[in-house]
Amino acid sequence: MAEQAEDQEQDVSNGAATEPVMDAPGGGAPAPEEPVETPDSDDVAVNAGGKSVEIGNFRVFLDLRMPEFDMGHCKAYSADNLRRDEGSAFALVTDPVLPTRHDHLTFLAGMHMAGQIDLLDYEIAYWPPIGRKTMVLFYEKPSGGKVIAKESKKLPIDEHDIATVVVEPLMNVMQAFSEKGLAHRNIRADNLFFADPMREKIVLGDCASGPPGYDQPPVYETTARMSAEPAGRGSGNVTDDFYALGMTLAELGIGRQPLKKLNDQEIMELKLSKGSFQAIASQEKLPLVLIEPVRGLLCDDPEERWGFSELNAWLDGRRTKPVQANTEKRAARSQNLAGRDYYTVRSLAQGISKNWVTALGPLRDGTVEIWLRRGLGDNERAKALSDAMRQLQWAGTDKRSAEDVLVARSILILDPSGPVRFKGFSAMIDGLGFMLSYDVQHGRGPQRFADVIVRDIPSFWFGRQEGYRPDVQKQQQLYKNLRYYIQQQSAGYGYERCLYATVRNQHCLSPMVEEEFVVDIADLLPALEKAAETASEESWPVDRHIAAFIATRLEDDVEGQLMAMQNPSDEVEYSRAIISMLAIVQWRHGPDNLQNLSHWVARLMEPAIKVFHSKARRERVETEIPKLAKRGNLVELYNLINDEQERRKDQSEFVEAVAEYSEAESEVFDLESSGPARMELAEKVGQQAAAFASTMIALLTVSALFLMHIF
Amino acid sequence: MAKGKGSGSKGGRSAFSGLSVVASAVLLFMVALPTFITLTVGLLPSLVAFIFDRSPGRTMARCVFGLNFSGVAPYILEVWMQPAQTVGGATQAVFQPLALSIMYGAAGLGWLLYLAMPPIVANVLNLSAQRRVSELRKKQRGLIKTWGDSLIKEVDRSGN
Repeated sequence: MAEQAEDQEQDVSNGAATEPVMDAPGGGAPAPEEPVETPDSDDVAVNAGGKSVEIGNFRVFLDLRMPEFDMGHCKAYSADNLRRDEGSAFALVTDPVLPTRHDHLTFLAGMHMAGQIDLLDYEIAYWPPIGRKTMVLFYEKPSGGKVIAKESKKLPIDEHDIATVVVEPLMNVMQAFSEKGLAHRNIRADNLFFADPMREKIVLGDCASGPPGYDQPPVYETTARMSAEPAGRGSGNVTDDFYALGMTLAELGIGRQPLKKLNDQEIMELKLSKGSFQAIASQEKLPLVLIEPVRGLLCDDPEERWGFSELNAWLDGRRTKPVQANTEKRAARSQNLAGRDYYTVRSLAQGISKNWVTALGPLRDGTVEIWLRRGLGDNERAKALSDAMRQLQWAGTDKRSAEDVLVARSILILDPSGPVRFKGFSAMIDGLGFMLSYDVQHGRGPQRFADVIVRDIPSFWFGRQEGYRPDVQKQQQLYKNLRYYIQQQSAGYGYERCLYATVRNQHCLSPMVEEEFVVDIADLLPALEKAAETASEESWPVDRHIAAFIATRLEDDVEGQLMAMQNPSDEVEYSRAIISMLAIVQWRHGPDNLQNLSHWVARLMEPAIKVFHSKARRERVETEIPKLAKRGNLVELYNLINDEQERRKDQSEFVEAVAEYSEAESEVFDLESSGPARMELAEKVGQQAAAFASTMIALLTVSALFLMHIF
Repeated sequence: MAKGKGSGSKGGRSAFSGLSVVASAVLLFMVALPTFITLTVGLLPSLVAFIFDRSPGRTMARCVFGLNFSGVAPYILEVWMQPAQTVGGATQAVFQPLALSIMYGAAGLGWLLYLAMPPIVANVLNLSAQRRVSELRKKQRGLIKTWGDSLIKEVDRSGN
């Protein structure tokens, strides 16, 4: 390993050192060359090979960059496997502000798959150069290096060997992914490595370090997905991988990235006007042997695009069915928009999305509708557009919003397979979550996403899909939940819930724990325990992000607690709900001792103590709280205020006491207000008593006289 | 109508009572004139009281009569004890200053009793009410001590 490290050092000194050590979060400014001194710098050891950091079973060398293994936006560093002597590894440090792909990580971790680089492990760790935690992926280093070398101009693989060296392993990977219902979405020539020094087999590089398709050059994406922003290109399916494979073959055949001289817009227009294959074939010189598979794989119609059977047939040397070069219908006359002529519906859809304000005119005055009927002969789309415009007339006072919805719907009518586009926002339906994550973590905020959901644009997208597709059904179900979440204003819902519900590996963005990069719910309480050391006395340990994170990640239902949190002015229920949520998390995932957090919670338990009416009970709870807080057990703290039997008893006794008090109050009132009546009564009774006494005296007198006379 | 009937029957009973008194008086006048004179002179304050007291139940008259009669009774007995009951003897006995003082003084005491008794009863009732209020306040203080201010808040809330 030391030798390898030395080799790497050589590489670094030969020019790699001029590159930034690691991009700052979000692809910002390069990090300083020297690792930043941080509070956790104790973990950074300085040894003979330079500064290193131990992450899980690996030691990563901070100053040994491995630029040839950089994958997309992620930087590679030399790493040493501390548990295993054979093989060599490298660490791929992900960008903390871009979510990784959970399903892919769990699928690939620790598994060997022919054709896919071995993902040995992945860890969340403090990364000194950026001064915060992020996810680090550990890959087995492919011994043959990168297939496309930057400096080299000659073809890395002979065109006749591409089938065995490239296509077979890649098909194996795609097959394995599709069996799991996943798509690689990172198939490109730049992401291929030679598995062996003899350069006889290739392996595909990373696919889990960022949003699907995020690192793909636009040319590698289908026209539908390349219209979306990079973060919103969506998870896609195996047909997207086949398309990328086609472009990979083209690049390997040509020796450079196809259409590299054109900008994204030109590539898009070329693909839309000619079809993907023709766009490449018209600009680049493809080897004869690759024309057939490239044509089949770059077919713009996913239904017609080559799949496993066609590729297998081609590998076996059999002829396959010919595919149509371009299925896009071209209009007899153009539709002008903002000074440009458009001939196909999808290019017009793209044009409208780029000219949002000016597009409203032709849409409203029916020009586009007429163009669809007469220029393209597409009455179905024209009718849909006319219906959309009719709905605009029913719009209420918010005319502006209705006009935006009309434009968004018009785009979907023209390009139903494309992304959801709304003003600047553009994301595939299966990329909404990653797009939201990107927006939130890159300063754009959640507003664009919220606008799309609130205006129900995705519903229209679902309505425009033809036939039954299980993945669309699944997305539709998920979208229903998103719409519900965004409509709720209280903590635990909103865009935060949408974010965690759609992006499984999204770390919690609460300012209290963001630095700790909490992806797994089991890490939440330790992070809060750390935050509790510096938390202000008034702040609550659960904010909107943490509530949404718990609601999404926890196995148990916490809707009851979220309901109670809807009204922060009801301090008793609010604090009980928060303590309850944290207690459930600790009960499920530990750790057993959370002293700082317990003290934090204990400080905030004052309102929760009010659930007891009896002063004696409250005093008992108040004396118990510090004792339990010292033990660091939130569950015990919660049980203390949530003893249902005791609460019921307290409540019933309280109700009795209230009744008793009210009765006494009412009697006192009666006694105090009955003075005149009592006087009247006293007079009456007094007079009667006097009369009675008088009569009795008379009787006694007579009786006494009578007796005196007798005796 | 019923009321009229009721009051009619009451009036009838009263008239009957008055008539029976008059009849008794006439009978007494005819049979025992000395006793009649003693009673008439001695019970003069009661007679006046019965005439002027129009209150229901005529409690004042009854008060005056009770003690007045107690004062007259010894002299009636004295008249009856004489071997020969004569008008002169009765008149002489009745019109003695001491006798008149005793008879009329007793009537006055009856009237005083009538005046004094209501305030005494009022005081007794007031004292009893005050003791009850104090007991209830003590009980309320105990409840507040046990349940705190939330009890008052709850009472106010339920009162509203």
